Amino acid sequence: MNKNQILIILCSVLLLLAVISVFLGPVMMSPGDLMESPIFLQIRLPRVLLSVLVGVLLAISGVMLQAILRNPLADPYILGVSAGAGVGASIALGTGMTLTLFGLSSTPILAFMGALLAVFVVYNLSKVAGRTSTETLILAGVAVSSFAAAILALIIITTGKLQSIYFWLLGSLSSASWSDVITVTPYMIFGLVIAYFYSKELNALLLGEDMAQTLGVDVEKLRILIITTATLVTAAAVSVSGLVGFVGLIIPHFVRMILGANHRYLVPFPPWPAQSFWW
Amino acid sequence: MKALEVKDVMAGYVDEQMILQGVNFEVNMGEFIGIVGPNGSGKTTLLRALCGLLPVKHGFIKMNEENILNLEHNELAKKVALVPQLMEPVSGFTVREMVMLGRTPYMRRFSFEGDEDREVVKWALEEVKIEDLAEIPVNNLSGGEFQRVAIARALAQEPKILLLDEPISHLDIRYQVKILRLLRKLRKQRTIIATFHDLNMAARFCKRMILVHKGMLVAMGTPEEVLTAANIWKTYRVKAEVQKNIRNKNSRLVLLP
Repeated sequence: MNKNQILIILCSVLLLLAVISVFLGPVMMSPGDLMESPIFLQIRLPRVLLSVLVGVLLAISGVMLQAILRNPLADPYILGVSAGAGVGASIALGTGMTLTLFGLSSTPILAFMGALLAVFVVYNLSKVAGRTSTETLILAGVAVSSFAAAILALIIITTGKLQSIYFWLLGSLSSASWSDVITVTPYMIFGLVIAYFYSKELNALLLGEDMAQTLGVDVEKLRILIITTATLVTAAAVSVSGLVGFVGLIIPHFVRMILGANHRYLVPFPPWPAQSFWW
Repeated sequence: MKALEVKDVMAGYVDEQMILQGVNFEVNMGEFIGIVGPNGSGKTTLLRALCGLLPVKHGFIKMNEENILNLEHNELAKKVALVPQLMEPVSGFTVREMVMLGRTPYMRRFSFEGDEDREVVKWALEEVKIEDLAEIPVNNLSGGEFQRVAIARALAQEPKILLLDEPISHLDIRYQVKILRLLRKLRKQRTIIATFHDLNMAARFCKRMILVHKGMLVAMGTPEEVLTAANIWKTYRVKAEVQKNIRNKNSRLVLLP
């Protein structure tokens, strides 16, 4: 079986699963009622679409971070996105604030901002003599995550909203809406474009930072750019779905096994077929 | 016109501590220069300064009268290529894909590799005689084969100057000779500078050698001029003797007990 055939099979599986999952649920539907049913249009269709989008966002972020940190265990949350988002969301859920902005409620907005803030702190903590290194980035990510976990625990204890906060942290698409789909789509396009645009640099980085530099790559600049992109993309995913784990770690590896490690193929294709994974 | 002119170069990893303390030398086109010296003498540091990995604090490096210290990363990558001491094979890459990475400075965004890139990679594979390994995953290669892939990857950059850091240190004698013969052939149309630990091997294949000690040039010239008992004692603190082979007039360095 060649790579193209595998891709076609995986894409078909994705499509099949998407179609099946539209019909499944507490209310079983026949193809005939679909178009008239509000359950289909307002609940199941956006949920299925959002699950694809979130999967793509996390996978693309995982690919970028594994490349830039040169670490196969890197996932979208390694630089503190999850911890920051968790604190942001728990502030919103714990205080029960009801602010809305651009059709989004306070939980996703605060989760998004918390994620960006956490990574901003991690990046600046990891700078030694004006330069970051993969080791300091990962260590700073762990440190900030632990600190944020402590704040999260404090919020849970003081507000007593354990159930709603914990439910959010587990990750869920149960409340998916069209506005979520519309909000995250631009992030997905942005992430794919940037990752593909810099795929030759990401490839050069496979040889190590020094070798990438002798091939003309400005490693420090690339690192800022890729980390920023991966953070925005992950934060967008997390803000609508909570902390969905595993997808962002495993899909890049899964696709590498099939397509090889070249980012020219790894970036544009993987997310789509591999998406079938997390149903 | 000198292919490479290194003048008063000072460089180091920390500001207060310069490892290279004023290095001067000139290299002509088509030369294969061997750099030798004890561990920690600055051989690798010199190569890193030459390919832009280490900022040069003082002095200049000129290639064909052009100061390369002010060049953009990408432009420098088209002139100077480095084969590092230990290169990791990229798992999941075939030999061809690995060599194609050398085309990075020439590739344009959003475009896959072009016909010219494919031509150059094919040429590089033929130069080091591994065209029949092209589709094999790099993880499956032996150390000697992989070293040739590393050289082909550097050649794909089409460099005017090819730098190699201890290219034969971890190879068996058969591959050591193979790689050195290859380098002697490749020096035509470019300049090759390589560091060595095996003094006799370097002496047999390099027309000129540089002996480095404590960040300075101790000697430069033909192997006979550089590898004298006095120089070896001064730098390596080892007693040695130069013995002439009567049959082929090669001289070789022998350690004294």
